[in-house]
Amino acid sequence: MAPLTILYDPACGLCRRVHGWLADQPKFFELNLLPIKSDAARRRFPKLNHDLTAEDLTVITNKGAVYFGPKAWLMVLWALPRYREWSYRLASPELLPTTKRVVSLVSQNRLQISRAAGW
Amino acid sequence: MNIEIATYLIYLSISIALTIWVAHTLHKNGRIFLVDVFHGNEALADSVNHLLVVGFYLINLGWVCLMLKLGYAVASAQEGIEALSVKVGTVLMVLGGMHFFNLFIFSRMRRRATMRTAPPVYPDAFTPVQEV
Repeated sequence: MAPLTILYDPACGLCRRVHGWLADQPKFFELNLLPIKSDAARRRFPKLNHDLTAEDLTVITNKGAVYFGPKAWLMVLWALPRYREWSYRLASPELLPTTKRVVSLVSQNRLQISRAAGW
Repeated sequence: MNIEIATYLIYLSISIALTIWVAHTLHKNGRIFLVDVFHGNEALADSVNHLLVVGFYLINLGWVCLMLKLGYAVASAQEGIEALSVKVGTVLMVLGGMHFFNLFIFSRMRRRATMRTAPPVYPDAFTPVQEV
């Protein structure tokens, strides 16, 4: 099974775009992308609060470590050779608060952003 | 040959000899470091090492040339030695600065090469995973 599972919202255009972008990126390891609240996601993570995954991106390792929201985005960057350095940079104590603010802002407005961009 | 010319010639020979010595030291001892940085890729290490030493030579010899002009007449041997001391001292300081700058570059390369692999952040929670 893939080291990282990414639970994404198929109803949001921005997430679908990121999904397509991820498919083209070189990766350190296989990424398993599952739509939120899907049967596959529920089967794989029976004890997870699946309603919460609708609110923001969720990344789960094959050991069961759950990363939610901004941390999940950092984990996605970390999985990509081109952006691993950036994941450490953005997670540094100086930048982490800003990273969290920006990511939360984008996440909360993802449906509006998707609509505005026409995705 | 008057004292000025003698001062200039001694200055040039000391400075160039020092530059060659420092560059040689850098070249010899930096190699081991670079081979480690590039995971045993000796060809790449030699190439980078050579390029660094070329840059080192260019900057130092350029500085030595720029510093050559004394700007005042030297009347006695004593004044000549004093002028020489100031010039060679300046060149030594610049060589030292350049040397430490090179060491800084080496250590930076090494830090980059030994890149971290742990995740950048701690998880928010843990959940059981059902293997399917």
